[in-house]
Amino acid sequence: MVVSARSRHITAVFAKRWLAGVWHSRFGLGGTARRRAAFAREWRLAFAELGPAFIKLGQLISVRPEEFPRELVAEMAVMQDSVSPLPASVIRRVVFEEFGRTPEQLFASFDDTPIASASIAQVHGAVLAHDVHPVWGETMPAGTEVVLKVVRPGAAEAVLGDLAEARRLLDAARRLGMLKDMDLHALLDEFEDSVVRELDLRVEAHIADRFAFDFRGDPKVEVPRVVWRTTTRRVLTMERMYGWRLTDLDDAAKEGIDGRALAIYGATAFMRQVMLHGRYHADLHPANLFVTPRNTIAYLDFGIVGHLTKTEREDIAQVLAGMVYRDAGRALRYSERLGVHVPAEKVAVVTRELGELLDSMLGSEGPRDFRHFGLGFLSLLRRHGVEIPTGYGLLVKSLATVEGCARSLYPDIDIMDVARPFVTQLIGESLGRPELLQERVERAFRAAMRELVA
Amino acid sequence: MSDDVMRFFAAWMLTHEVADEGLKAAVLRGSGQVQGGMAADGPDAFVDGLAAMVAQRKEALKAELAAGSVAAATADEQKVVFDELRFEVAEMRGRIDEVQGTLETILAKLEAAGPARG
Ligand SMILES: Nc1ncnc2c1ncn2[C@@H]1O[C@H](COP(=O)(O)OP(=O)(O)O)[C@@H](O)[C@H]1O
Repeated sequence: MVVSARSRHITAVFAKRWLAGVWHSRFGLGGTARRRAAFAREWRLAFAELGPAFIKLGQLISVRPEEFPRELVAEMAVMQDSVSPLPASVIRRVVFEEFGRTPEQLFASFDDTPIASASIAQVHGAVLAHDVHPVWGETMPAGTEVVLKVVRPGAAEAVLGDLAEARRLLDAARRLGMLKDMDLHALLDEFEDSVVRELDLRVEAHIADRFAFDFRGDPKVEVPRVVWRTTTRRVLTMERMYGWRLTDLDDAAKEGIDGRALAIYGATAFMRQVMLHGRYHADLHPANLFVTPRNTIAYLDFGIVGHLTKTEREDIAQVLAGMVYRDAGRALRYSERLGVHVPAEKVAVVTRELGELLDSMLGSEGPRDFRHFGLGFLSLLRRHGVEIPTGYGLLVKSLATVEGCARSLYPDIDIMDVARPFVTQLIGESLGRPELLQERVERAFRAAMRELVA
Repeated sequence: MSDDVMRFFAAWMLTHEVADEGLKAAVLRGSGQVQGGMAADGPDAFVDGLAAMVAQRKEALKAELAAGSVAAATADEQKVVFDELRFEVAEMRGRIDEVQGTLETILAKLEAAGPARG
């Protein structure tokens, strides 16, 4: 077996962090909680040190509270995806390679100071030299400010190389009993998918166009318009948005906006994505949302998008109805159709426990806490050995994130209230599906006949 | 068409307007929820909510009938289909922009490589 320098480096970083973990947990004498916290922290530091692929992997772990130890999930959630910026000359070289022209030949001006620098891409400001007619929305006249999102050179190779290494390491970690039994392959496949997608920015550009279209009638939701003429695999040019990230809304910013209206609006927009469009922003993150001075919400970063078929949407509506109306049986029955298989002998006990959870977490007093309920529900299923399909977990997590985002604008929001009309409407509509009607009307008819002849 | 179902229910409710006291009570309970009030619990509350929503549709339908504009809904449906088409065409235009950008890049690279022969 060939052991590359990179592979040795990765092993060395983990060994170092493992030793640090042993030290910080007082050689295991500090108690279980302390040991787990200490190791979780070292895992996070190791991931951060190892760069893009591991940072992304950490982000994936941070949204899987049902599969990974709580301490690890908490640590990974605080891992920042910001790295020291590359010099502008490197970015300029990528632009030249992609377009055969300098930024000045392509734009009226280009700003050498980056707006943001993340593990895979760096973002720079520029100004349009010509009018641009986007796929959806109004023409952007010359002089419009745009941003260039540029993939870091070598990011693709580094990430794909590390991916193989990550597979090896996670396997080793599992053999050592450091991780609970979980679906590693699904995780790594999803990881590879999302990384590969992120390495071709045209995918993101298409999704942005589609979202702009989906929200065409909605003056409160903004999506950056794409400049296709200067967009390639490695460079994405889009309208520059201004506003506050939800993560840095200070009091001054809060003065100028209507937090309550925006929170309800944002949550409603998400419900519309899930229930009506069947395409939802699965990578929602307080840093990917801007609140603008115009009192609108701007979406940035369309990396991960969840897709739902009509039938799935109806089933989800039923599950949510079960939650909104605290009907555990309904929630479970329709979860089954989404791939959550509760073994027959456990249905009764799971239903009862879910009912208790619904009563304690989503009782009618005060704004209800979906996040705690959602995580509690997933761990309840786990505890009974029920496997959770990736998409199902992703949706629950996305809903929890939406609640978190909305709460940073308006702490008292109740997203179950926001969901209710959507759920009711969608179920109402699905009742009319011909096959359902046929089945039910006939049954009702028979019952009526039986009444009559009794 | 699923939206037709809500219309169907609404129409049914319209023609049974005086008939069903139980339904009326459900609508009353449910309309609190639809307006964003605190909801009652349990499976029945869901039926109430649905009933209230259908009742809203019923009122709309009544107004439409009174105004003689029942055909308006189909115009809306047409608009949706046309919008989808417009978007597909717009996306194609985006692709063409991208291809045009690629051609400009190739041209720029050829020029940089030296004067073309022929
Ligand atoms: N259209 C935009 N307008 C203004 N700032 C942007 C825009 N797109 C991205 N940014 C900035 O760049 C940061 C990183 O962009 P993002 O698309 O999230 O990259 P990544 O997927 O690498 O995290 C954002 O948090 C934001 O500050």
